[in-house]
Amino acid sequence: MKFISNKIFLFSLAILLIIIFPIIFLRLNPYTVNIVALIGIYLILCLGLNITIGYTGLLDLGFMAFYAVGAYIAAILSTKGISFWITLPICMLAGGLMRYLLGLPLLKLRGDYLAIVTLAFGEIVRLVANNSVSITNGPKGLPRVGEKIMPIHIFSFVFQDNIHFYYLIFFFVIVSIIISYRIEHSRIGRALIAIREDEVAAELSGIGVARIKSVAFVLSGIFGSLAGAIYVHWIGFVSPEMFTFWESVFLVAMIVIGGMGNIFGVILGVFLLVGMPEILRSSLGTVFIDYRMLIFGMLMILIIIFRPQGLIPSKRRALELHTIEKD
Amino acid sequence: MFFQQIVNGLTLGSIYALLALGYTMVYGILLMINFAHSEIFMVGAYCGFWILSILPVLNNYSGFILILVFLATLIISGILAMFIEKIAYKPLRRAPRLSPLISAIGVSIFLQNLIMLSVSFQSLPYPERFEIKQFQTTGIVINSLQIFIFCFAITLMILLHIFIRRTKLGKAMQATSQNHIVSQLMGINVNGIISLTFFIGGGLGGIAGILNGMYYGSIKYNMGFLPGIKAFTAAVLGGIGNIKGAMVGGFILGILEAFSAGYISSENKDVITFLVLIIVLILKPGGLFGEQVTEKI
Amino acid sequence: MVEQKKILDINSVTKCFGGLEAISNVDMNIYENEVVGLIGPNGAGKSTLFNIITGIYKPDKGEIFFKNKNINYFLPHQIIAEGIARTFQNIRLFSNMTVLENVMVGRHSRTNAELIEALLRTDGFRQEEKEIQYSAKNILDFVGLLKFGNELAKNLSYGDQRRLEIARALATEPLLLLLDEPTAGMNPKESSDIMELIKTIRAKEISIIIIEHQMDVVMNISDKIVVLDYGKKISEGNPSEIQKDPKVIEAYLGTD
Repeated sequence: MKFISNKIFLFSLAILLIIIFPIIFLRLNPYTVNIVALIGIYLILCLGLNITIGYTGLLDLGFMAFYAVGAYIAAILSTKGISFWITLPICMLAGGLMRYLLGLPLLKLRGDYLAIVTLAFGEIVRLVANNSVSITNGPKGLPRVGEKIMPIHIFSFVFQDNIHFYYLIFFFVIVSIIISYRIEHSRIGRALIAIREDEVAAELSGIGVARIKSVAFVLSGIFGSLAGAIYVHWIGFVSPEMFTFWESVFLVAMIVIGGMGNIFGVILGVFLLVGMPEILRSSLGTVFIDYRMLIFGMLMILIIIFRPQGLIPSKRRALELHTIEKD
Repeated sequence: MFFQQIVNGLTLGSIYALLALGYTMVYGILLMINFAHSEIFMVGAYCGFWILSILPVLNNYSGFILILVFLATLIISGILAMFIEKIAYKPLRRAPRLSPLISAIGVSIFLQNLIMLSVSFQSLPYPERFEIKQFQTTGIVINSLQIFIFCFAITLMILLHIFIRRTKLGKAMQATSQNHIVSQLMGINVNGIISLTFFIGGGLGGIAGILNGMYYGSIKYNMGFLPGIKAFTAAVLGGIGNIKGAMVGGFILGILEAFSAGYISSENKDVITFLVLIIVLILKPGGLFGEQVTEKI
Repeated sequence: MVEQKKILDINSVTKCFGGLEAISNVDMNIYENEVVGLIGPNGAGKSTLFNIITGIYKPDKGEIFFKNKNINYFLPHQIIAEGIARTFQNIRLFSNMTVLENVMVGRHSRTNAELIEALLRTDGFRQEEKEIQYSAKNILDFVGLLKFGNELAKNLSYGDQRRLEIARALATEPLLLLLDEPTAGMNPKESSDIMELIKTIRAKEISIIIIEHQMDVVMNISDKIVVLDYGKKISEGNPSEIQKDPKVIEAYLGTD
């Protein structure tokens, strides 16, 4: 019991910090709010991808395709005047549906083949977005000249400044964390992790592997398209270069380095790989940013060889210290 | 148009086939996808670039220069591939299957960025040291470079085939790809064979990189990505692990790409290749010549 | 004599791989409350038969009936839900999950809280989670592993890992338990401990088919023995009959 109430306390503290943070920093350095909001977007993406990679053990190398789907649909609908609050569920639905359809043939594949096929699909989406000029305006991206992404508003309040988007994004980050936590500590979560550990043994323990994989796959896609829809309303722009294969790999790197299947690990991974270079920009200049992918490549290799569970040790180790008794 | 595309396709296919051999050989022996192979291709191209840039134009010795460039690149790429295996893959031989793939992705990122940061992020024009002659017959244009690429690739493939089938080392490679443990019991130095496999695969990949650079006239730090995926598709199409299959797959894919570019559009030719990859992996992962390997439960 | 109910009916089942008949025209009946030993030389097809019964392979010929239902085309997890569970020759645990979690996974087919209930933390969900923990702990206690509950499965000793696999199988509430070489790699003390465990399982009215190579173990515990060789059933009977059967002796020792 004490352990649980500690967690709730820490979580509430974290939420308090998140709420206060921009108010303090806005006076010191408004750019920081921008960075942290971007971290928030990546958090939503990585928490979503973590459901596929971290919990279920399926390597997905084309996740940005669903980010793209969310962003483009939101952009197209928004330039036609449709409110964010309507496009958001539409994007999530589209992302989920597409993942479902994609999963039907793909999820039967073996791990490394699945990885390559998701890569191929991600590239197809990018190329199609690049070439379908009539729908997506090709390489120039959306919105077209003369069109505008509708601002988000709740009643009469309009989301204009970075700080507004910061709160919106972190609202969804909190929701994502809660969803991830609740999945992980549930029958479904245990089934996913069992599938990751040994798919055959999972099936022979009574888990309908095909269906559960599909559930995980679809759910993660919804996170992706959600993030895309929010991003395009924030930045006001989307184009095919934003979701290259290397962006998808970047997400995978954050999860692998931070800790696969581990919410804290994923959060750490995002802060480390997105946050650090930006924070160091002020002191070291852009050196770190240029070299970051080089360092991340090396980190990925080192982590997967020497510490495959990621930087944050599994919390299960902590549990080992408690012995359990019969109820 | 049709025969023109065949010519283009065979040239492209030669490059893809050479590159595909690296993927298929490594997969055959370690059951892993060497994601970083496309970067060996790229490094090979840069090697050739440097050597050709340093050597002055010597018309009388152009044959000699050619041999030097290809030989040096073969060795350098091969050694690089061996080195990568020792550092990034060997520690993961007992790890879950996805781990070497993730490590390979890390190597790929690292090498690309290394070249980008140390050389240039821009594309560099490939030095033209050799005169390219054009021939024309019945409406088809062939140039000597295309002929050279095709013949050179075929020669290398024939040499590889002879090596695998007829030499002791080649047979050791075949044995090791069937079963590591039994091969060791037969006295084969499995680690050595694995290194040799990476050396040959990497060397051929590096040569493919030079040919690619010569053919397109320029190189860039990210030139390996698309050809790598296409060559991997070729390997899968032919039956991953099957050397003959990789060769055939490479040419099929080259011709497919040439026809897609010619008859559909050059923007969408890559979409076609990716679709082929997805379809083959879903419907017939064993490819044309591959065997269905079932897992023992 | 009380009429025993047949729970598993394997009817002329054949399974081919390539050109080879791994299982050839095998008939076998399993009744309630019975322990059946499945023996035969290596490669005889015993594990393959388990794979067919649990739905990993589909029979090429013949039918399998469980509780009078034809399960030929059932998916493995459906067969588990029907009441057949198994362990594996080379232990297949969820290594990075705790001992308790491994057994909790076994409860999956007997529970049904879906994603929505997990996300909303409904009362039904909470109730079910409590039940899962409770029954998992009971099973761990039954096999003697309760004190390792929070240990990672991969950290257990070999003998305890086999026990855990059995615990996980028991969590699915099977009518029929298939044990694939449960004492492989064990010393005599460990083997007899496992045998005691199997006897207590049997006392819970769970039928068992056990693949074993240690003859004294299997003769001791089985009501009936079925012998396979080259995919065919070559003999069936009680332990003393089997030990005297010349066909069986020949299969194991070869002819002179």
